[in-house]
Amino acid sequence: MNTLRPEQVLTCLHSLPALPAVVTDLLASFDNEDVDVGALARQIARDQALAARLLRVANSSFYGLQTRISSINEAVVVLGFRAVRSMVIAVGVGGVFRAEQCPGFGVQAHIRHGVGVGLAARALALATRRNPEIAFTGGILHDIGKLVLASCFSPQYQQALTYRERHDCPVVVAERDVLGLDHAIVGGLLADAWRFPPALRSALAEHHSPAAATADSLADLIHVADAVAHGLGLGQTAGELVMPVDQTAWQRLGVSGETITQLLPQIADGVDETCLAFNA
Amino acid sequence: MTARDVIALVEARPGMRLGIALADRAGQVLVPAGVELTESLLQSLLRRDIASICVEREVAEDPAAQEARLAAVKAAADHLFRVAGGGIATRTLYQCIVDFRSESRQ
Repeated sequence: MNTLRPEQVLTCLHSLPALPAVVTDLLASFDNEDVDVGALARQIARDQALAARLLRVANSSFYGLQTRISSINEAVVVLGFRAVRSMVIAVGVGGVFRAEQCPGFGVQAHIRHGVGVGLAARALALATRRNPEIAFTGGILHDIGKLVLASCFSPQYQQALTYRERHDCPVVVAERDVLGLDHAIVGGLLADAWRFPPALRSALAEHHSPAAATADSLADLIHVADAVAHGLGLGQTAGELVMPVDQTAWQRLGVSGETITQLLPQIADGVDETCLAFNA
Repeated sequence: MTARDVIALVEARPGMRLGIALADRAGQVLVPAGVELTESLLQSLLRRDIASICVEREVAEDPAAQEARLAAVKAAADHLFRVAGGGIATRTLYQCIVDFRSESRQ
């Protein structure tokens, strides 16, 4: 056993590179109704790498626009500030980690699954009259605890991944058995350290235990979106599997099988192009 | 078996069936997949400057090939759901995935 203590994770989180300033400001803007949208748009535009990736997402089939968006200002006007904010956070946060150094951790599969959950969460949110933009961001980031573990504790996480393969069990079970904690706990610690808004925190920390979360959190939505993405096999790995779908989360979400079936084509069809933007 | 073709909107005719849902800029579905096109719907899409759409058409499939394809779809879903258990929500999702994958996508 190579158990990790939450304090070790916290020490690791404090040693990570700082988030881009604009991402920190955008996270803070969730609690601020008087946000200066123009100033934030100019700040995004100054981070050229971030702006380029943002425009790539905005111009992908994800938003189905008929005309091309060529500036951040235009993206804010056409897509709305909330959509741009969610995209910048999703694109900016993932860029902090270097998980490719962990043998056995498939970065590409991780991105594909995250994008799939993001698209599924967004589609489910629209179908159930919830906020689609924060749902997309929550979906993209829901497994970020895995990135923390793979980046900061590579040898231990490699053992957990080997255990998963040997026992053909869910990753979260292997993490608990080998490390004594799981990526949802680590995601919650990260959300606290980086002061994520409560809705995003629930997406990261409670997607494997949605029944314990409040009904108005993102946990139900991300839990079901996670199962949808695994059910479609979007991670494209031999070890991919669907965990039992929590009945409480399913019922509280209030979505029928017929609705899910109607949403599946747009989720499956949007993954490849959206992944390109997140891979840049 | 259903096949899908992307065609210019001006080539679309009433009676054709939409293959992939049409969404607006916010991702809100305007017309769900499977809806039969009507003259008024086509006019509405033209007004929205939509250039092309995906339509589906029925094509004959050899029964043996169809059976083999459905068996492969089910086997793939069984593999993905191998530890998911038999809960109502889980089985509903399983059936959604099998139904979706059973639709041929050409």
